[in-house]
Amino acid sequence: MELSHFTNHYSVRSSMAGFSEMCRQNGLSVGLNHTKEGVKAAQLGFIRDPQSFYYSLKSLFCKDFEEQVIFDQCFQVYWKKRNHQYSHKIQEQGKSNIAKNTRASLVMMGVKNKNQKEEATHQEAKSVSGVSHIDQLKKTDFSKIKSVDLAQFEDLIEKLLRQLNTRLKHRLTHTKRGKIDIRKSIRKNISSRDEIINLSYRKRKIQKTRLVILLDVSGSMDKYSFFLLKFIWSLKSYLKNIEAFIFSTHLIRITDLLKEDELMESMMQMSDRATNWSGGTKIGECLGSFNDQFSKLVLNGRSVTIILSDGLDDGDPKVMFNEVNKIKLRTRKLVWLNPLKGMKGYEPLAKGMKAALPAVDDFLSAHNLASLMELEKILSHA
Amino acid sequence: MIPEVKELIYRFDQLDYVVEEELATVIFLMLMMEKPLLLEGPPGVGKTEVANIIAHYRGYELIRLQCYEGLDVSTSVYEWNYQKQLLHIKLNEKGKISAQEQEKVIFSDEFLLKRPLLKAITSDKPAVLLLDEIDRADEEFEAFLLELLSDFQISIPELGTIKAKHKPVVILTSNRTRDLSDALKRRCLYYWVDFPTFDKELAILEKRVGGEVVMLRQLVKFIGYLRGQNLQKTPGVAETIDWARALITLNTTSLTQESIDSTLGCILKSQKDIDEIRHSITNILEDISA
Repeated sequence: MELSHFTNHYSVRSSMAGFSEMCRQNGLSVGLNHTKEGVKAAQLGFIRDPQSFYYSLKSLFCKDFEEQVIFDQCFQVYWKKRNHQYSHKIQEQGKSNIAKNTRASLVMMGVKNKNQKEEATHQEAKSVSGVSHIDQLKKTDFSKIKSVDLAQFEDLIEKLLRQLNTRLKHRLTHTKRGKIDIRKSIRKNISSRDEIINLSYRKRKIQKTRLVILLDVSGSMDKYSFFLLKFIWSLKSYLKNIEAFIFSTHLIRITDLLKEDELMESMMQMSDRATNWSGGTKIGECLGSFNDQFSKLVLNGRSVTIILSDGLDDGDPKVMFNEVNKIKLRTRKLVWLNPLKGMKGYEPLAKGMKAALPAVDDFLSAHNLASLMELEKILSHA
Repeated sequence: MIPEVKELIYRFDQLDYVVEEELATVIFLMLMMEKPLLLEGPPGVGKTEVANIIAHYRGYELIRLQCYEGLDVSTSVYEWNYQKQLLHIKLNEKGKISAQEQEKVIFSDEFLLKRPLLKAITSDKPAVLLLDEIDRADEEFEAFLLELLSDFQISIPELGTIKAKHKPVVILTSNRTRDLSDALKRRCLYYWVDFPTFDKELAILEKRVGGEVVMLRQLVKFIGYLRGQNLQKTPGVAETIDWARALITLNTTSLTQESIDSTLGCILKSQKDIDEIRHSITNILEDISA
């Protein structure tokens, strides 16, 4: 990125344009309007004091709590504060002159030593990289996430889920007032003889999709199961209608455990209940016991079933196909999310996986956040 | 700090509202540029109070619209008084008024029920319009707001477009339960309201509650400690004020194990948090006095 500084420009207008340009390059969404308003703020007299100028531009240019870091960096680099020998003169000139005598007013925010500035700005510009890091994190394979990034990663999950939740909710609710219910209106207004004074409305009942999630926690899924569980747990707090199960050698229902407010507590209780964590995999049998015990209870024409597993099965592929197919018949949509699918050149060659595929509606990857967000499409069309 | 902002801080101070330089600058900028202000931050840090105090400072009326999911035009902008229209038609049935004239009458101001948004732009005196918890409203409502916030006008099919007589001062608050659309954010000034610093919170307590400074200092430190913990509901400034009032009502002069124990419900609003903190009150008291 080419370094920019307000001393390269000769008027408030062009230096503000330069600043907008710089903010834009660093990932802030700054438009023409912002530049215009920035100039206006400067003309209103905010430019007289560096701190006030900083605060006013910040409120104009930042539209998010997270953007403040980036903005601060840009501001530091572009409008570097230094006292200048002419600054007292400008203060005397008052507001109206500032717009005309722009060069001088800029000097007030001013620079003494150009050489020093060049070096310092170079370093600061390098550290302006918040947005791209987040983008990268979205695409990082779960098994490769460093513990350093964990906190940021958790924030990101929450943010993405919030977006997903709003969008889903809006697809599921009807905001219109509905049609007029004539029968009800007449009945309600019997007392006023032939006049209908109060209208009654009819609303369509919202039918919510139920999400049924089956998560594989066997040894081969170790690297992923923690993140996937975290994802399910967060999903639970946003979507009300979720049923969740974990399985490795046998199946355990964890819907009630997800209700805990703390993820760690949920996990503790789960590990108490699940004695087979990180054990072998008998997908076919586990799905079988799901079909026997729970499928009538939790599956119906409005439910979407998601199986999260790598498909590395120790059991008989025939059993596997039968059980998967049984689920398929009871549910509206069956999605298989496989973390291994994110790897280059992956083919569903494991015999269990291969057997199950014909019964699956969608076969997707689940190795990073970006791929999990694809779920939205499935959930919204269901 | 530019002198106008200093003046503003001073005036707010006289109205018993403690405001830091940054917020004061933003408020001043908002008033000068006639742009809406979006305040985001955790619950209970005084976002709504900003609107109150601006109304107070300017001597304007405060018009408040509490947003919620499913908020629609009839509850936020206007509604025709259907019952009154009906009665009017009924009464005039015998008179010979043409249908067109009739229509003109029943779709006039007299039959219009003004809701907060319309009230704010048609009021004779300028007003402060507070759109509280805008993140709870639907996206459709947000989109509807765009016209209002940029042009300060509202279109009513039967009456045409109504332009604001005075541009209202618009304040939006959000708790960030969802992200607002970029289009809305672009039209607003943005300010993130965080939990106050130790000095600010102390100043607020001194203004609002009064009482023994030694205890107030302890109290603010205690709250500050709680905010650092991973609680389900972090106490805001409102809770601090409540707590200080409760302690003073109980004639407490310094924080002790018992006094905290009996008033913990003022600041913590979840059984789990209360249990957790109750066990470690002595430790926390030692920590903050160290």
